Amino acid sequence: MLSEDEAKDLLSFLTLEMRADVKGQATGYILGLTGNRDGCRYLQSKPDFLKALVTLTSDPSIAIVKDCFHALINLSADETLHQPLVKETEILSKLIPKLQDPEFVFSDRICTILSNLSRHEQTCRDVFKALQELNVGLDRLVEIFCTEGFNKKASLHYLAPLLSNLTQLPEARHFILDKDRCVIQRLLPFTQYEESITRRGGVVGTLRNCCFDYVHHEWLLSDAVDILPFLLLPLAGPEELSEEENEGLPVDLQYLPEDKRREEDPDIRKMLLETLMLLTATKVGRQILKSKNVYPIMREFHKWEKDPHVISACEKLVQALIGDEPEVGMENLMEVEIPKDVEEKLQELDAKEQEQMEKDKQELEKSQNESPEGLER
Amino acid sequence: MAAPTQGEDSDDGMDEFMEKFKTQKYHNAFNESNWEEEFEKVPMFMKTAPENIDPEKHPDLACIQHIIHDDDRTPEEKARSLKDEGNEYFKEKKYKKAVVSYTEGLKTSCVNPELNAVLYTNRAAAHFHLGNMRSALNDATAAKKLKPDHNKAIIRGAQCLLELRNYAGALQWCDEGLKLFPTDKKLQELRATADKQKREADRDARKAKVKAKKQQNEKEALLAAIKERGIKLLKTEKPPHRASDSEDEDRDEDTSRALADLQLDGISSQEATGARVYMDEQGVLHWPVMFLYPEHSQTDFISAFSENASFIDHLAVMFGEELPPWDIDQKYQPQNLQMFFEDPEKGNLYQVDLQESLLRVLQHQRCSVKAGTPSFIVLVSESPFSRQFLSGKKVQRLKLLK
Repeated sequence: MLSEDEAKDLLSFLTLEMRADVKGQATGYILGLTGNRDGCRYLQSKPDFLKALVTLTSDPSIAIVKDCFHALINLSADETLHQPLVKETEILSKLIPKLQDPEFVFSDRICTILSNLSRHEQTCRDVFKALQELNVGLDRLVEIFCTEGFNKKASLHYLAPLLSNLTQLPEARHFILDKDRCVIQRLLPFTQYEESITRRGGVVGTLRNCCFDYVHHEWLLSDAVDILPFLLLPLAGPEELSEEENEGLPVDLQYLPEDKRREEDPDIRKMLLETLMLLTATKVGRQILKSKNVYPIMREFHKWEKDPHVISACEKLVQALIGDEPEVGMENLMEVEIPKDVEEKLQELDAKEQEQMEKDKQELEKSQNESPEGLER
Repeated sequence: MAAPTQGEDSDDGMDEFMEKFKTQKYHNAFNESNWEEEFEKVPMFMKTAPENIDPEKHPDLACIQHIIHDDDRTPEEKARSLKDEGNEYFKEKKYKKAVVSYTEGLKTSCVNPELNAVLYTNRAAAHFHLGNMRSALNDATAAKKLKPDHNKAIIRGAQCLLELRNYAGALQWCDEGLKLFPTDKKLQELRATADKQKREADRDARKAKVKAKKQQNEKEALLAAIKERGIKLLKTEKPPHRASDSEDEDRDEDTSRALADLQLDGISSQEATGARVYMDEQGVLHWPVMFLYPEHSQTDFISAFSENASFIDHLAVMFGEELPPWDIDQKYQPQNLQMFFEDPEKGNLYQVDLQESLLRVLQHQRCSVKAGTPSFIVLVSESPFSRQFLSGKKVQRLKLLK
């Protein structure tokens, strides 16, 4: 790694006033450092370098700006650098306002950096606070996100995981779930946004986080929001249901065409099922899901699904849908206090289930490995 | 010469005029009983102006009012005055008059964009209540252009788009409005309604598509079954350019969808009952069939004649216990009946073996189904009418391959 004198020299090259060719080589070197763990660890204790990178995101040279953003993305992917970046540089105050510029070329990189920095609660709170102070509140963020083609040169897809990360904070959820506004309703259609798995995943994550607040379940499932079709549609396929089953479904799921395709990403499918599972935690939620005929969709989905983790989530949901109602006083499953020994037993069962899945996966891989030998024979 | 003539005419006219007063009484004159009432209508003598000036009743006052509106005041003052007038009409639900007032207000060359936005918005509201959705939408759009944050115009425009079933447009207007007024309850309500109705319309479109697809599949299966059996179909009205009388002659195996639809017109039955050939779950075809009795100018219609049933099966039922009232001689006994179909090309008659099934007869190379409905002529054998009917016609006995 660099000696003290070498670091000092390199740092002197990383200024706005430096000649472009020298500066370019210096930023290229730093970018190389950010490509591996040792380099990131080295830079973690070098706030001056971090500051220089942030400053040079305004450099006249596009190539240098590009390298700096690339380096900052790499650094922000490392959790240990979140605090130094947020606390010891002006990365937030410098980058966030540029989101509002409809012509800024590097907005997608800013979104990526912000979604990285907001992944964990501590710096997520810092990002949230900075957004408020810089007049890019959640209101404006959602508006930018929902305005198709807001930035002519950037897709802004990574605003979705940023929103998802922010909704780990109660105050962010409070805004999204504000009954006096129309916010969550505008996010719902993106659960089927074909052009970007990032957008779909981010919005589904946002919805899942919002469903942890069970007091809102009745409102979310009512006509005012009608969250259910947007969770089910990505899980519904082209299978033909009977007339009776069709008419019992939410309007959006009736008479789906032959070319209907399900969500392709297993992680998103799993998140959708987890969200539906959360909605079955309350009595009113269970009643609504049953009355809306969710079961036939899950039945066909279960036949189609291949991923074992997703199948497991689906089976849990089906169990909740067809199971008996809990005893009086236990209707809200999220409020029930589980005795310690029961909780430990449940965790033990979960661990065993995970172990079994890993074993099944290994056996599957083994059987796949055996097949070439069979062919050779 | 002209001058004396003109003078003469003038004198004649005057004489004629004066002559009238000797024989006719003068109309519309004030009289002792109505002179006060009539004076009241003359603006100069009017004591109080009426609340509503009806141009038909008070044309003079309407003219004066118009002059007053036009003179002295600035365009903005005129526009404001006309807006208030329109608002009065609106309150009284006189929407047409309100539209007229607002329109006059917009013509005043007033340069106040806010006032003009109000005039457009109010006219939009009047049009809306008259059911003129497109005019209302145009006005709301004009108002929004003048004053982009005019809440009432945005709400009105979204309402119009909703009525016009342009749900995407309505949603767009609502979102635009909610950007400016995030907590506006009316906009949120409208957005929810537009969203819901759009999804219902989308579902209806999908349902219709599924239904049409299903019907298309059934039609194709039906046509395939008919072709498979070698049965020929005739269209009711043949286009002039079609050379062949038989639709299926010399046709490629893989018929395109459009051609299939065209051919299937031949299956449409002209019967009022709407009965048509269909295939049951076992793959058996059932045809609507006509029996013609030319001796008595009568017909019978069998709505579902199974292709596997024989003619005698139906005749035994139709001419069983009770004979038809038109059979005065009671000759139409099943064992006495003959049945023929006509070759549409040459006009020859082919006699049918009553023991044969419908399918076997339809498969004959000279048999074609017209208007989706096979038809057969029924006669009493050896009867005088039969002899007369068949004389001059070439009759062949149907030879079916075993």
